[in-house]
Amino acid sequence: MKNKKAITILFTILVSVLLLAACSGSDDADSSSGDEKTIEFMHLWPEGSSAQHNKIVSEIISDFESEHEDVKIELEVLSNEQYKDKLKVLSTSNELPDVGMTWAAGFLEPYVDGEMFAPLDDLLEGDLNDSFVSGTAEAYAIDGSTYGLPLELNIATVFYNKAIFDEYGLEAPETLEELENVVTTLKDNGVAPIALGNKDRWTGSLWYMYLADRIGGGDVLTNAINRSGSFEGPALVSAAEEVQNLVDMDAFVQGFNGLSDEEAKSMFMNEQAAMYLIATWDLPNYTTNEDVPQEFRDSVEYFNFPTVDGQGDMDSFVGGPGVGLFVAEDSDVKEEAKEFVSYFVQQWGEKSVTEAGVIPATKVDAESLDLPQMYVDVLDDLNQASNITLFADVQMSADVAQVHLDMIQALFGNEVSPEEFAEKHEEALSAE
Amino acid sequence: MGLNVMNKVMSNKWIIALYVLPALLLIGVLIFIPLILTGYYGLMEWDGIGAMEYIGLENYINAIQDAKFWDSALHSFLLALFSTLSLIVYLAISLILASKIKGADLLRKIYLIPMLLSSVAIAQLWIKVFNPTNGMLNSFLVAIGFENPPAWLAEPSVVLYAIFIPILWQYAGFYILIYYAALKNIPESLVEAAKIDGATPLQIALKIKMPLIMGVIKVTVVLAVVGSLKYFDLIYVMTGGGPNGASEVMASYMYKLAFSSNDFGYGSAIGFLLLIITLIVTVIVRKATATKEEIQY
Amino acid sequence: MGRIGYFFLYLCLAIVAVFQIFPIIWLFMFSLKDNQEIFSGSPFALPSEFRWENYAKVWEGGIGLYFWNSIWITGIAIILTVLLASMATFVITRMQWKLSKLVLGLFMVGLMIPIHSAIIPLFSMFLNVNLIDNPWSIVITYTAYNLPITMMILLGFYYTLPREIEEAAIIDGCSVHRMFFRIILPMTTPVMSTTVIINMIYNWNEFVFVNTFISSDKFKTLTVGIQNFIGQYMTDWGAIGATLIISVLPILLAFLFFSNKVVEGISSSAVKG
Repeated sequence: MKNKKAITILFTILVSVLLLAACSGSDDADSSSGDEKTIEFMHLWPEGSSAQHNKIVSEIISDFESEHEDVKIELEVLSNEQYKDKLKVLSTSNELPDVGMTWAAGFLEPYVDGEMFAPLDDLLEGDLNDSFVSGTAEAYAIDGSTYGLPLELNIATVFYNKAIFDEYGLEAPETLEELENVVTTLKDNGVAPIALGNKDRWTGSLWYMYLADRIGGGDVLTNAINRSGSFEGPALVSAAEEVQNLVDMDAFVQGFNGLSDEEAKSMFMNEQAAMYLIATWDLPNYTTNEDVPQEFRDSVEYFNFPTVDGQGDMDSFVGGPGVGLFVAEDSDVKEEAKEFVSYFVQQWGEKSVTEAGVIPATKVDAESLDLPQMYVDVLDDLNQASNITLFADVQMSADVAQVHLDMIQALFGNEVSPEEFAEKHEEALSAE
Repeated sequence: MGLNVMNKVMSNKWIIALYVLPALLLIGVLIFIPLILTGYYGLMEWDGIGAMEYIGLENYINAIQDAKFWDSALHSFLLALFSTLSLIVYLAISLILASKIKGADLLRKIYLIPMLLSSVAIAQLWIKVFNPTNGMLNSFLVAIGFENPPAWLAEPSVVLYAIFIPILWQYAGFYILIYYAALKNIPESLVEAAKIDGATPLQIALKIKMPLIMGVIKVTVVLAVVGSLKYFDLIYVMTGGGPNGASEVMASYMYKLAFSSNDFGYGSAIGFLLLIITLIVTVIVRKATATKEEIQY
Repeated sequence: MGRIGYFFLYLCLAIVAVFQIFPIIWLFMFSLKDNQEIFSGSPFALPSEFRWENYAKVWEGGIGLYFWNSIWITGIAIILTVLLASMATFVITRMQWKLSKLVLGLFMVGLMIPIHSAIIPLFSMFLNVNLIDNPWSIVITYTAYNLPITMMILLGFYYTLPREIEEAAIIDGCSVHRMFFRIILPMTTPVMSTTVIINMIYNWNEFVFVNTFISSDKFKTLTVGIQNFIGQYMTDWGAIGATLIISVLPILLAFLFFSNKVVEGISSSAVKG
């Protein structure tokens, strides 16, 4: 008898667990009762790793909520990779948050095609008129409408350890030949020349993109991607050749294809490698980050990517806007969400550069702010930039980007010839 | 009369249903429906964002002709092979630990500790072991006189085998635990009887203990094969399947297609094929290891 | 085997033991370093300065709540899994019915599904029944996804149980329920403990499902706490190490407890019932 009871109890528990589960799920549905509206907002700056970003976001949210008493912001914070995966899962069920973060061009496109993101043109023509650095918001435009408002703007430059350079009497190179000489000198003295973490693949892509830019001009890669040009054109093939030249002369740290960008960065920051090509999101490490030894920060400088055989414009950059805000097309609180996005972008600009060391995509008056010299220099460069080519893997659609990234790894690993490298790109792009 | 009652009681349909249905219901809803849906998505052209479009078997046909898929399948098979072979080592360790040597209890607990760590920790540890310049492995190799040790995770020809090591190591505790429990389940009397007959410890291990836990060994072979064929974690964290696909396995390839390439339909087709392949291999393994009847004591 | 033989045996066992204990010591060192030291220094090395602030940082990040969620979600899922798996395995291996082989086959197929192809269908299913952002969705998912492997492990043991015990019980007029709960379950304590350990490790370290199905901070688990330190461009590895150490302690204790149960064989608990 006792055991019958046990069974009955067991099943009662099981059934009630399931019922409880099913019922308690409806909690959030009625949370927006009354006049209060809830905007769900997802971002990718967790408190633990991005304390300053996280703090600014919280400040903006609480300011916004105090100015709009009937609106509440509900936050979900995820790390970068998890954010991308979750956004993907949410979109399959058409459950995107009201406001979230997106990347430009290739990432954005399927969401726009699927009518998931709301056009934000009215904001750009209204409150945010002329507030973005030119070329940034445009990266989020498809067929004349803009679907995301960028928060950061980054350009890639070569950071180098001046102390190491001085020790061997080296100067920041201005041509590829000079760069190669620097590499040879460093190697002869047993110093690893360039830190590269090509497990992440976009890191190697930066090198290829710059070589392409210098050899073939600022639009050669963009044209090949938008099909008005070809990867099999001479400039893009010889850029691939130059990559392999650098690899053959051991310019990059040993085993770079198996290292993450983070490991490569740490080699540079521990003075185990003299140069490191990365985008300006890393500036805090070389300026304001107190966790990095002062001595190291003082010895880091940067140079613009050198010219190749007298060709190329050193004011032309690889880079582009990073994350931007989107508003979901299906949002129940679209108007409020748009207002929040607009408010966010306006508040973000100055705060982000002074407090988190982000170079914002909105125009800031550098003169009026107290910034480290390296920031002033980068902002100057940005002002003088003749061209910014958007990161190749961002420009491309997702599946072509995967081919590009795999091919970059193969090219750097000498597994494919420059011709095969070009051919694979052509195949992938024409299959679109 | 005993056997009749026995048969009657032990084939009571109500009891059978009561005991098996809750579990069946759970896996039916939470595993089989997603599984069928995966097969179904495989028939679609779908980026996971916009509308789906039915394209019949195109994804499956493409997958069968996809060299990258078969490369990744080969890597998964190799992992399955090595996992199965490594069971011999784990079995040997378990036999030693389960025999009455001094300190066996402490050793057993120590041996199982790495199993508790999450993949995040294990990946970090082995990334450090394999680091080409200041990693533990290469520092050691240089110290004993190797001039140019390989960059383990960067060389396409060695990366796959290099990454197998942490995977096999990660699961050592799992199998040792199972074998140990099985060996401890063997009645003392059988071992004692053999000892009285003058059997050496090695004979007891091979002739008495091994056959008695054969059922468990077979199960672990299936677990090793299935687990390897759908393995994902460390591969994804440590190499991302690279360089250029040299360490790609079926599950990481599927993940990349569905989540990175926005090709959810094709990714689902690969996921479904992964399942079919695993199923076929499992049936073959079961058939190959089948005996007439499981042993009872 | 002589003295020398034993000496070498112990030598080998000890070397393996050092290898196996090293990771946890390494992890502890790791948790007291900063990124610079983690990446450049020797992994064996003591931290130049013991950065206990990594632990403080983790604690302030609200790990307490994650901790509690991990414990109850893991605990309930383990109980459900082991109990349901034992019941199903018992019926499949010990009772006579036609479909037993087929049902066993179904559970084995359940072993084979890759979780990444399951999460999108699961998400939309949970969404339909309003189970998204509800910890019970995690509990039942863990239960279902661990049932097959738990059953496989139990299976080998159930096959070896002596028939005589059942016969004796039934002839004494014992019901099947009584037999299962009072005789069979206690007899399988060692293997159940094994499956408890395995389930515990799986559930405790799982994060794909939690990340996908849970969005409120109040329901997240420890593995998500780790994500807190992974940044867009920078990751705080020291803090991750501290989180990992904090999260490994409870399962280490639970493991030591259950691993003693693995040894308590038939002799101690069973047959008396």
